[in-house]
Amino acid sequence: MRILVLSKSVPDLVEELALDEDSGELLHDDMTYVPSEWDDHALEEALLLKDEVGAEVTVLAVDTGDVDNMLFTALAKGADHAVKLTGDFDLATSNRKRAQAIANYLRDNPFDLVLSGVQAIDDIDGQIPAMVAGLLEWPHASVVTEVSIQGDQIHFRQEYGGGLQAELAAQTPLVLGIQAARKPPRYASVAKVRQMMKSSTVDEVDASADAVPELEIRRFFKPVAAGHAEMIEGEPDEVADRIITILKERKLVRG
Amino acid sequence: MALRYVLMAATVVLFVVAGAIFVGRFWTIYQVMKKSRSTIRTDQIGKRLISTIEQVFAHKRMLKVRYSGVLHLFIFSGFVVLLIDVVGSIGQIFSPGFSIGPILGMIVDIWVGLVLIGVAMAVYQRAVIKPERYHGSDETDGYIILSMITCIVIGIVVHESFYPYAAGPIFGIKSVALSPMEFLAYGLSRIWLSLGWTGPTAASIGYVVGYTMDILMIWVFLAYLPYSKHLHVFLAVPNIFVRKMSPHGELVVPPVPEEGIAIRSFRDLSWKDVLDLYTCTECGRCQAVCPAHAAGQPLSPKMVILELREALKKELSGEPPIPLAGGVVTQEELWACTTCGACMEACPVFIEHVPKIVGMRAALLEDGEIDKTAQKVLVGWDRQGNSFGQPLKKRPGWTKGLEVPIKDARKEPVDWLWFVGDFASYDPRIQDLTRIVARLLQRADVDFGILYEGESNSGNDALRIGEFGLFEALAQKNLEKLQEAEYNMIFTTDPHSLNALKNEYGKYGFHRPVKHYTEAFLDLIDQGKFQLKPLGIRATYHDPCYLGRWNRIFDAPRELMKRVGVDLVEMPRHGENSFCCGAGGGRIWMEEVGIKERPADQRIREALTLEGVTHFVVACPKDVAMFSAAVASTGNEGRLKVVDMAELLAEAAGLGVPDTLVVAR
Ligand SMILES: Cc1cc2nc3c(=O)[nH]c(=O)nc-3n(C[C@H](O)[C@H](O)[C@H](O)COP(=O)(O)OP(=O)(O)OC[C@H]3O[C@@H](n4cnc5c(N)ncnc54)[C@H](O)[C@@H]3O)c2cc1C
Ligand code: SF4
Ligand code: SF4
Repeated sequence: MRILVLSKSVPDLVEELALDEDSGELLHDDMTYVPSEWDDHALEEALLLKDEVGAEVTVLAVDTGDVDNMLFTALAKGADHAVKLTGDFDLATSNRKRAQAIANYLRDNPFDLVLSGVQAIDDIDGQIPAMVAGLLEWPHASVVTEVSIQGDQIHFRQEYGGGLQAELAAQTPLVLGIQAARKPPRYASVAKVRQMMKSSTVDEVDASADAVPELEIRRFFKPVAAGHAEMIEGEPDEVADRIITILKERKLVRG
Repeated sequence: MALRYVLMAATVVLFVVAGAIFVGRFWTIYQVMKKSRSTIRTDQIGKRLISTIEQVFAHKRMLKVRYSGVLHLFIFSGFVVLLIDVVGSIGQIFSPGFSIGPILGMIVDIWVGLVLIGVAMAVYQRAVIKPERYHGSDETDGYIILSMITCIVIGIVVHESFYPYAAGPIFGIKSVALSPMEFLAYGLSRIWLSLGWTGPTAASIGYVVGYTMDILMIWVFLAYLPYSKHLHVFLAVPNIFVRKMSPHGELVVPPVPEEGIAIRSFRDLSWKDVLDLYTCTECGRCQAVCPAHAAGQPLSPKMVILELREALKKELSGEPPIPLAGGVVTQEELWACTTCGACMEACPVFIEHVPKIVGMRAALLEDGEIDKTAQKVLVGWDRQGNSFGQPLKKRPGWTKGLEVPIKDARKEPVDWLWFVGDFASYDPRIQDLTRIVARLLQRADVDFGILYEGESNSGNDALRIGEFGLFEALAQKNLEKLQEAEYNMIFTTDPHSLNALKNEYGKYGFHRPVKHYTEAFLDLIDQGKFQLKPLGIRATYHDPCYLGRWNRIFDAPRELMKRVGVDLVEMPRHGENSFCCGAGGGRIWMEEVGIKERPADQRIREALTLEGVTHFVVACPKDVAMFSAAVASTGNEGRLKVVDMAELLAEAAGLGVPDTLVVAR
């Protein structure tokens, strides 16, 4: 079983966000970047699978600048290989473009299972696993927990609204967006990371991607408070009636 | 006459056998020590000799627990006297007519009496008093040894008492008279006379029984010792000699820095650590003072040593090795330690528990295992240099409330460089205190500055959590700034930072004077920099572990309190015997699983037993937080107030303490 874990660095929210005064855009170079917490969970889940069934774990990052430390940290935790996709990327590179590069890499380098964090705090769109799977036409599931390998099938859980949980099974190759690992992500000691920097290497793979459809950003702005909420008081039935009336008034429901 | 040859033969044969067993055992131990890590323990020979004499002959630490100390002194001195007896008794057998003389004979008899008193006290202690500290120790072994000692000393008197009557039949010399100075043997011999047991057969039997109980039992003892906890009879003295010397507060120096400090197998122990394992007497004094043990957590420093020793014995007997960290000693035990050092302070044979515990923590860390809250703190130190998960930029945020700005020591020379530390910088409850310290310095016209964003956590706690690499990284960051700055002295309120700056940075060549605020303020008072009005309060003082035990700063805080007119009442556990607040060694960030009563709460209870004490004085930012919480959680806000030294001084100097201060009076 070959597992690929996707990892991304995101702005460290401990620091204040540095925004360009005119455009409102995030000043990437003025921010400190740290590994995305959800990706840490994806890596932990992969390492747990490795502990259980002996999978081979590769961790991959798109070279958006300083990602080496993140990759060596993953190696220190127990990943077997680290790959950095080089090309025309920077911290502002869109998820669409990153997904394309990752998918291209996966076409040339076969893996059975791709795990990524369910989302990252920068965009919170949770699109990478879905887009990678879509580009490759592989099955995909997101908001996933408790992955296990059973024969040639991957089992995992997905949470639904209303307190429902589903246990699902899928054939490899498969892309999963990990919501949380079974255990809190392990710690990589500074000495071990340093040792990795000396003893191992990060494979650099050229992944200059073809042009991809990009979002066109019109403007960045902070949410503006407009008007105030009206609190509806009363018994539940009265409140419900009032809501329905409002919805009807504003033509938000039919009939 | 033939009997003499039998005794001679038995003496020699048994000695050779016992000797071989004895040497074999030591050889095994030596082999383990040889394979372990190196450590230098032959520096400061003079100091070592003096301390060994103090501890061995004057029983300095032993007598801290009075009853045990006295009984041990009796039995221990008996061992010295035993040598005289061995010479006398064997001399008698090999060279008929040989005698040590009546004076030495009397000394032997006196000590036989003392040893018997000591043994009786020991049995009483084990069987009736039953101190908790023995829990987990090998009690059977204790009784076996006590029986052997009793047998030997009784044997001494018995064979000596038959000597006048057996001299003819066994040694072929004319009967000799015992001097009444050998009062025990003399008295017994009178009893044999009145019983009529003086004939050749009775006397020979009596002598042989006595000799067997004495000399032959000594040989058996010799063979048994190395397999029992009483190996300390031989190892205690060398172990005390190779004890850890100054800098006391330096946790451990890795012999090969790149290899770090992790202890996974017995090879990762230093040879002193191995010696420690065999030297432990199972007395449990370390267990009795351990805050983690007292809190009901699964840690006992004694059991850590015993578990390691047991595992080493098993490994040497060919069993497959078990990982030390998390295997032989459980994770729960290892993470429970506050690194307060009370165990090391209490151990009469100078066993070093803390470096072993931290070394095993380091092994757990390398495998990624650590309490999750503490893990966040480690990551925070790595990224932002503080334990509060706050941006580096906010480190000097506390200075905003000051009327007079503080010099930036990165930009201009200062007399005193203030190393502020995490808690004093970031903890909103403590920032008010930090500002008081600044105002006091300003009032005293001290030319001082801080490193602003250039300061990082000192790494003292990171090291004690077992993160040697992170400690090094933090130390390097600070050292870089410290090397660029110009100053005459470093000043800090935080004992943990003080310890790192004073003791841990030395290995990177940093040796600048570092003072705790209690010392520095005392100097300022003595230079007449403050007009003080006596406070007239009755208070007790808590010695922080990293100020007192690890840095031996006991007097300055007490003197300071005296100067500001505080009537100090000591808690039963004070000075070097102080009881940890429970925050050290990273514990402040770890989950409190299995805690029955928090150490800080126990400490507050201890303070409340003191009559008329209204204030609980602390000299460590973490203690302010710990004890304020403890006073609140035990519902004693009305009875006891936690105050910091700086507050006392500010009050006495008429500086005014803001009401916003949590600890304000
Ligand atoms: C267990 C769980 C926990 C979550 N926790 C959080 C959280 O803490 N914070 C957060 O921000 N988000 C959370 N989410 C996500 C959040 O609920 C969704 O992002 C949000 O509900 C998306 O709304 P939606 O209307 O786009 O899609 P959905 O809620 O999926 O609704 C889709 C719409 O399509 C309708 N529909 C579906 N099929 C058909 C059909 N065949 N024909 C007609 N209509 C159809 C549905 O009835 C529904 O109206 C959670 C989701 C789950 C499952
Ligand atoms: S250092 Fe303190 S907490 Fe740790 S084992 Fe020793 S006495 Fe117990
Ligand atoms: S380590 Fe020291 S104090 Fe603890 S039981 Fe052993 S000898 Fe006694």
